[in-house]
Amino acid sequence: MAHTVLRTSGALLLTLVVTLLGAPAFAQDIVLGASVQLTGPVANTGRYYKDAYEFAIDKINAAGGVKVGNVKHKLALKLYDNQSDVNLSVRQYTQLISQDKVNLLLGPFASNFALADSAVSEKYEVPMVEGGGASDQIFARKFKYIFGTLAPASNYFASTIDMLKQLNPAPKTVALLYADDAFDVSVAKGTKPLIEKAGLKTVIDERYTSNASDFNSLLSQIKSANADAVLVAGHETEILNFVRQAKSLAVAPKMYSFTVGVPSEDFRKALGKDADYAFGMTAWLPSASLKDRWFGDAVQFAAAYKAKYGYDPDYHAASGAADVEALAEAIENAGTLDPKKVRDAIAKLNFPSLYGTITFAENGQISLAQTVIQVQNDKVVAIYGGKGFIEKPKYPMPAWNAR
Amino acid sequence: MDLLAQVLINGVLLGGLYAVMALGLALVWGVLNIVNLAHGAFIMLGAYLAWHLYTYLGIDPFLGLPLTAIIMFCVGYALQRGLLNLVVRAPMFNTLLITFGLEVVLTYLAQLAFSADFRTINPPYAGNGIALGPLVVPLARLMAFGVAAVLTVGVWIFLLRTRLGRAIRATAQNLVAARLYGVEPRHLYAVTFGIGIGLAGAAGSLYGTVSQINPYIGATLTAKCFAISIIGGLDNPLGVLVGGLVLGLIESLTVLYVGATFGDVASFGILVLVLIVRPSGLLGKTA
Repeated sequence: MAHTVLRTSGALLLTLVVTLLGAPAFAQDIVLGASVQLTGPVANTGRYYKDAYEFAIDKINAAGGVKVGNVKHKLALKLYDNQSDVNLSVRQYTQLISQDKVNLLLGPFASNFALADSAVSEKYEVPMVEGGGASDQIFARKFKYIFGTLAPASNYFASTIDMLKQLNPAPKTVALLYADDAFDVSVAKGTKPLIEKAGLKTVIDERYTSNASDFNSLLSQIKSANADAVLVAGHETEILNFVRQAKSLAVAPKMYSFTVGVPSEDFRKALGKDADYAFGMTAWLPSASLKDRWFGDAVQFAAAYKAKYGYDPDYHAASGAADVEALAEAIENAGTLDPKKVRDAIAKLNFPSLYGTITFAENGQISLAQTVIQVQNDKVVAIYGGKGFIEKPKYPMPAWNAR
Repeated sequence: MDLLAQVLINGVLLGGLYAVMALGLALVWGVLNIVNLAHGAFIMLGAYLAWHLYTYLGIDPFLGLPLTAIIMFCVGYALQRGLLNLVVRAPMFNTLLITFGLEVVLTYLAQLAFSADFRTINPPYAGNGIALGPLVVPLARLMAFGVAAVLTVGVWIFLLRTRLGRAIRATAQNLVAARLYGVEPRHLYAVTFGIGIGLAGAAGSLYGTVSQINPYIGATLTAKCFAISIIGGLDNPLGVLVGGLVLGLIESLTVLYVGATFGDVASFGILVLVLIVRPSGLLGKTA
C-alpha cells in the first residue's frame, strides 16, 4: 500500500518535473514544410529556394521569431529533395502533412510542380505559399489553399511588348517560341493577344519539346522569316543552347527576349560576352525603396544574401524569402497556428517586403509588374518599367560578327 | 529553298555529332554485349574534363580531345576490370542494372563535384560560322563532324586491320576459339570498354563546345545513342555514322515541316520502323 502511494506520488512528481522542464516546449517551433529540387535537371533553379527559405527563416529567428498570441516561436524548416520528380514531390508533400505534421507549407520551384503539389495542400486544407510557380493554371482552379508570389505567367511579356512599340526602328514582326510545359504554355497564351493588340505580325509561333538541345532548324526558320523580335519562353538550358546556336548560325534579330536566365548570374557566366543584348524580365530588382521588416530593405537583403551564398539573388530567391515572410506575417495576424485561420489571414495580407507589397488576388496570386531588363556588358540593366524607359536599351542588336 | 538547304546542313552536322556520341556505345554493345546505360554519363564526364582542361589550363577542346579520350580510356579500363567484368557473361538484365546504377552514381557524384551550374566550353571560334552565300555552316559543328568522321573510320580500320582489333572481333564472335588462339579475354574486354569510354570522352568535349554541360545531360544522350546504334546496326562503325546522319536529318526536317515538338516522335518512330523492317540495323547484315 505504502508502496503504491510512494509510486503514485513519484509518478506525480515526475510528471510535474517533466511539465516544468517541458514548459518552454509550449513555445515549440513552427515547422514549415517544403519539397524542392536539390538534385536533378531542375536543381539549378530549385536550389535557390532552399537558400532563400533558410535565409529568411534564420533572419526571422534571429529577430526573435514569430509571435503567436503572446508567445514567441522559432521557425523551423522541414525540407525534402524531390530530385526534380513531380510524382516524388507530391508524395513528399503528402508525407510532410500526414506524417511530419508540419504546420504550414512553402512551395516547390516551377509551375508543373506547384500545379501538382497544390492539390495536396488543397486536400489537407493546409495553406501553401509558393514562390516558384507562375502559371495561370495553378490559380484557375478556385483552390483556396494555394498562394503564389510570382507574377502571372500570362503577363511576363506584357512590359516587353509595350516597350517594343517605343523602340526605334520599331519591330514589325515577331517570332514566339515556347516549351511545352505549364508555365511556358501559359506565357504563350497570354502573349499572343498582346502581340496582336500591339499591331505586330507573328511570323513564327512554335511550341517545342522541353529539354530540346537543338534549335538549328528553328533558328534557320527565324532567319528565313526575318523576324524582328524573338520572344522565347523556355528553360535556362534551352536558352543557353538557343543563344549559342544563334551565334554559330549568325542569326541576329533586332532583339530577343527570354522568360528565364537573363536575371541569373549563372546564365551570364555560362555565356560570357555572348549574353550581351539579351532582354529578359524580372518582377524584382534589389531597390532601396522596397522596405522590409526583417531585412531593412531589398538592397540589404541582396548584399547579405550574396555574402552568405556567394551569388546574387534573383527574383526566384526574393520570391522564396517573401513566401516565408508571408507565412510569418499571416501567423501573427491570425494569432494561431490553425491552418484554416492562417489561410484566411494570408488571403488578407497586405504588407511591404523586400520583394514588393505582398497581397494576393481572389485567386491567390500576387500581381506584380515585370520590369524589362537587358544584359549590357555582363551586367543586368533595368530598361523599361511601368513609367517608361529607365535606361537606354542597346537596340537593335548588331550582327554577331560586328560585336 | 535556302531554308531547306540550311536545315539539311544543320541536320548533317547534327548527325555527325550524334554519330561520335553513339560510337562507343555501339562498340561496347556489339563486342561485350553490354548495353551501357551509363554511356551518356561518361559523355557528361568527358565534357566536364574538357571544360576543366579549357578553363584552368587553357587547352583547346579540339586539341585536348586526345588527352580527354586517353584519360577516359583509363577510367573505362579500370571500371571494366574492377566492376563490369563481373557481369560480362551474365544475363542482359544484370548488365542493365549495374550500368544503370553506375549512371545514377556518376550523375550525383558530378553534381556534388561540379554543382548544378551550367557550363559551356566557349573558345572564341565556337560561335563562328562559314558563310556560303545565304547559308551558314557553324564552324564548331563542322569540326565536330570532321572529328566524328575520322574517329568512325579510325575505329573501323582498327577493328578490321590491326591485330588487337581482330582479337576484339574474334572474341565477340567466338570466345572459345579466340581463347584457343591465345587471346586473353579479360584484358581485351577492358580494352574494348576503355575504347568505348574514351570515345564517349571525345564526344563529351565536342558536345560541350556546341551545347551546354550540366550533370543531368547523360540520360537523354544515352537514349539518343541507343536509338542511333539500333538504326545503324552494331556490326560496323560506319553503320553508326549512317544512323547518326539519318537521325540528325530526320529530326531537323521534322522540326521544319511538322513542328518542334515532334522531333522525338520522329526519331523514335524511325527506331521502331527499323526494328520491324531491318532488325539488325540499316547497315547490319540481314540473316
